[in-house]
Amino acid sequence: MSAPDPAYELDVELSVNGEARRARVEARRSLAELLRDDLGLTGTHLGCEHGVCGSCTVLLDGEPVRSCLTLAVQATGRAVTTVEGLAVGDDLHPVQQGCLECHSFQCGFCTPGVLVTAAALLDEVPDPDEATIREALSGNLCRCTGYESIVEGVLRAAELRREA
Amino acid sequence: MVARLTGSSVRRVEDPRILTGRGRYVDDVTLPGMLHAAFVRSPFPHARVQGIDVSEALRMPGVRAVLTASDLDGVATDLTPVGPPDLLLAPFPALARDTVRLVGDPVAVVLADSRARAEDGAELVEVDYDPLPGVGDMDDVLAGTTAAIFPELGTNVVHRATHRYGDTDAAFAAAERVIRARFEQHRHANVPMECRGMIAHHDPATGVLDVLAAHQSPHALRLHLADVLGLPAHAVRVHCGDIGGSFGQKFGLTNEDVAICAASVVLGRPVKWIEDRSENLMVGGQAREERVDVEAAVDAEGRLLGVRLRLVLDQGAYPKIGYPATGYVSIVRALFPAAYRLEHLDVESVVVCTNKATYVPYRGPWEIETWVRERLLDRVARELGLEPAVVRERNLLRPDELPCESTTGVELQGFDPRRTFDDALALLDVPAFRARQAAARADGRLLGLGLVNVLEPAPVTPSLIRAMGIMAAPRTVQEARARLELDGSVTVFTSQMPHGQGHETTLAQLAADELGLTLDRVRVVHGDTQLTPFNMVGTGGSRAATLASGAVVGAAVAVRDRVLAVAAELMEIAPADLELVDGHVVARGAPEVRRSLAEIGRLATMRPGLANADGRPGIEEVGTYLSEEGTWSVATHACEVDVDPETGLVHIDRYVVVGDCGAVINPAIVDGQVRGGVAQGIGAVLLERSAYDRDAQFLSSTFMDHLLPTAVDIPRIEVHHIHHDPTGGIDYRGVGEGGAIGAPAALTGAIEDALAHLGVRITEQHLPPGRILELIDDVTAG
Amino acid sequence: MKPPPFAYVAPDTVEGVVGALVDAGEDAKILAGGQSLLPLLALRLGRPSVLVDMGRVPGLDTVRLDGDALVLGALTTHARLGRDPEVAGPMPLLAEVAPLVAHAAVRNRGTLGGSLAHNDPAAEWPAVALLLGASVTAVGPAGSRTIAAGDLFESYLTTALAPDEVLTEVRVPGVPPRTGDAFDEVSRRHGDFALVGAGARVTLDAAGVVVAAAVVFIGVDGTAVLDEQPGLDLAGRAPTPEALDEVARAAADRLDPHDDLHATAAYRRRLAATLACRTLVTAAGRAAGEARP
Repeated sequence: MSAPDPAYELDVELSVNGEARRARVEARRSLAELLRDDLGLTGTHLGCEHGVCGSCTVLLDGEPVRSCLTLAVQATGRAVTTVEGLAVGDDLHPVQQGCLECHSFQCGFCTPGVLVTAAALLDEVPDPDEATIREALSGNLCRCTGYESIVEGVLRAAELRREA
Repeated sequence: MVARLTGSSVRRVEDPRILTGRGRYVDDVTLPGMLHAAFVRSPFPHARVQGIDVSEALRMPGVRAVLTASDLDGVATDLTPVGPPDLLLAPFPALARDTVRLVGDPVAVVLADSRARAEDGAELVEVDYDPLPGVGDMDDVLAGTTAAIFPELGTNVVHRATHRYGDTDAAFAAAERVIRARFEQHRHANVPMECRGMIAHHDPATGVLDVLAAHQSPHALRLHLADVLGLPAHAVRVHCGDIGGSFGQKFGLTNEDVAICAASVVLGRPVKWIEDRSENLMVGGQAREERVDVEAAVDAEGRLLGVRLRLVLDQGAYPKIGYPATGYVSIVRALFPAAYRLEHLDVESVVVCTNKATYVPYRGPWEIETWVRERLLDRVARELGLEPAVVRERNLLRPDELPCESTTGVELQGFDPRRTFDDALALLDVPAFRARQAAARADGRLLGLGLVNVLEPAPVTPSLIRAMGIMAAPRTVQEARARLELDGSVTVFTSQMPHGQGHETTLAQLAADELGLTLDRVRVVHGDTQLTPFNMVGTGGSRAATLASGAVVGAAVAVRDRVLAVAAELMEIAPADLELVDGHVVARGAPEVRRSLAEIGRLATMRPGLANADGRPGIEEVGTYLSEEGTWSVATHACEVDVDPETGLVHIDRYVVVGDCGAVINPAIVDGQVRGGVAQGIGAVLLERSAYDRDAQFLSSTFMDHLLPTAVDIPRIEVHHIHHDPTGGIDYRGVGEGGAIGAPAALTGAIEDALAHLGVRITEQHLPPGRILELIDDVTAG
Repeated sequence: MKPPPFAYVAPDTVEGVVGALVDAGEDAKILAGGQSLLPLLALRLGRPSVLVDMGRVPGLDTVRLDGDALVLGALTTHARLGRDPEVAGPMPLLAEVAPLVAHAAVRNRGTLGGSLAHNDPAAEWPAVALLLGASVTAVGPAGSRTIAAGDLFESYLTTALAPDEVLTEVRVPGVPPRTGDAFDEVSRRHGDFALVGAGARVTLDAAGVVVAAAVVFIGVDGTAVLDEQPGLDLAGRAPTPEALDEVARAAADRLDPHDDLHATAAYRRRLAATLACRTLVTAAGRAAGEARP
């Protein structure tokens, strides 16, 4: 089976927050840019574009990935969850509710990446201790909070999940 | 009965949109016909620009225009910094005309259909540079061996000042000991998570320039832009949505601001610019590079008799428009004594110009005075074999000594100079720590304790402003407006520009309480120069809690008075017998006698003469607040560390802040500010550095090189609040900067304390693990 | 910080990948997880004309035992190495090292093969491959060949792979009896590239005396450095803390690290000695039967 020719522009078809979406993009376009600019989902933020700050974190098939280090074309056929996909209608996801109750954030720029990472953490480890939470969030930089309020928010989210 | 909101950790109004990814930051906005900008930037610290060839770039698909300095002639003037007459300043163009003065200095701007295409085009712009020697070391400037970066100034020493308070000669003559040290603070940066940017839209049809900015002071930006672009101020609108942090960086006027707005004027289309992280680290703004040589005369008990300081500050190449460098050195000088007893003080300051990024105000821009003073007290303790807490206790003013005036002319009143210190010591139990420290040493473990007292002007007081030597600055007046809408809801307009501080919530809490409303019935409008009251500062300098609160409460009270007057007329009950409860005006003692605020609002607007004697319809009132003396926040920081002698890595075992910032509007928000500031101070000591080599070549342009602390690096920070004198009224004090001011001293003090028994003395602020091992080796090897 | 333009192709066979590399000439780069390549492109430090994505080729992420050798597909992610019992069972060192690689979001995408082919001097997997005597399968236009780890890593960001070869599989021989291994690193922050890292492997005889020992270092040179001298120094000796410390220091003395923004050469050498000693001690303990946590 021969390979197709390399192309500068390609079609991408993927699922985003449960909805089938498509776009035609340059090969160099990142998943972050696809989400923000082609699909209008600006919740995912760009803080460094070289894979360190974590503001761009989304879930790819349920796992946190840096959408700035994922090409849009690599996401074809996959399922992406962004911060916009955490709430169900008006019902906040437990991480959103927990962080609301605990005043977890200030300027909000790191927030989507943190929420998505925390949501995935709680799916895998429903009752994490503080060290586990900090480790899981160690790839998400926040400049405003000093992290403690975020940790509290995730602990509260774990409680809310248990109560649900 | 609506519960009182002020004083409780009410959930943030901002959070529903922030948490659902519906915040609206500059880069989230797209306008029809919008072009994207990328700057061509100098790779050299210092060079002549002999020529620029943009022809290749223009041929790139998607590139619409490439502008250089000559394209801006007639569109934008040079940027003209202002400052006191003895500060040497030179204007500079938005895009380099013939000289570049730092790595990253913009030379051209490419406008294209996408940022990626703009960057493609930028790579093709050919600039003929003739490199010049780069000035990267303050000592080279002081030695007089450098050529002037601004030839018209003739020197790279742009300011010198000497101030003498009291009689240091006499103090030094009487001293038991004179202690000398050189303290060096390294260059680092604000690094907000959102990079700088704006969307400038000059509409040729209307002549209006509409700027969506991320900026702490929209009104100031508006004036600067109108001035530089030669537009009438009425034709310039600046507005801000959500801002991803700033910490002093998104402030004043920058080259990029001018170039982007000018590009929109030239092209007649909206232009978006978002810097990338490399640009932000390189030219977004840096701070804290200061060196202080200190001599302290002390008596046998460790009391400071006299201090001589020589401060050198590296302001980088271009001065900050909106914050002259003298602003930094003068506040350091004026605040140095803080709440300690110090009569005799000489301060010599020097500001030098180098080929580095602009020195910008970074959260507590005067932080070095706390760092040097507190570390000096530690040094005094070590030299005299005393406990650092004891030396502080001997030097701190006692409450009965206030009110008084510091030797620099600052009125010290309105706070307790000892309470946070005493409370912190009680929490720490220093003798118990010393016992643990000794036991740990026997095991080869190195524990240390650092202690710091912070006096934060929150905001700057009139006497502090005078002490800084700013005679012409008016007293800070803050204005707010409150409007009763036709449905009984209330809109509050503030000149604050929150970028994480939660003003949409805190100011609403205050207004809602005055008007007997639930939080959802009040909305705080900010950031739009067409709507909000004027203020040159916007948000910064720890002022919102006091000034904005005062203005908002004033406006809300004025609205309340007017509402009660209207209700009194409608209900034929004296205003004194009416109260505002739950969105209604209610007769005291007869709650069934009531009118809704909606009805009041409607009638006040629709019935001429009802609300205002001059016939003006509706109820909309202005509140103003003048800053007074006594607006100080006090805090004591304490830090316990464990230094690994094999790797030099530092673990923070405990961090405590005991603070008095007066009354607190929203405790959770205040605690967040304190913790965030402390985290930045910790990062500065252990991780963060804006690195240049001696020739001013920039070395740390990615997050792999410029390290920020993560969730694993910042410990839990215990925050204890005290309120020394709950007198009521507007006693909310700022607190946004104190955390960042105290933490470097607390942490470096703790690290030194862990190593002091080995003979280590630390007078530098950046302590990566390798450096800590070097410091140990230096004393143990010798 | 946008990459320069490139063309992209995602063949669904190994032959297709090789063919695409051949067609594109020297200008092509293989895309696996992209966690090392994409930052370089964003910073415009590389400008490949074509990215050949091997991520759509099925069967390159399998984990299987072949006898007592562990065979890992090149596209096995760091995350999988950290949590798959099929890995931890036969080769616990891999599961211990995986959490040291960057952060979870990077581990979910980054691959073993990609890391080995990229050969960053501070990356863990090249060092672990050297320490465990691993080999890789490389497929090119002329067919496939096996490259031992010792021959694979040449210098800074350079391997023995030809521009038209793709690394498809990694083979880790079974752990000999009475053999223990360990790896440790020091970084500025959790998840950063290591300032210095060291791994050790020790084999004892029935009497508890050393028959083989090796250490490997990262962050001290252009590429990971395997040092088998400790085996010679310790042959026939009991692995006492003093002996291991002495050997560790000697190994560190043989290194030639450099100064950079994050650490001085002296600091790196010192950490190398500390970490070599720590890992030798742990490895020797494990060889003697001490349980792994």
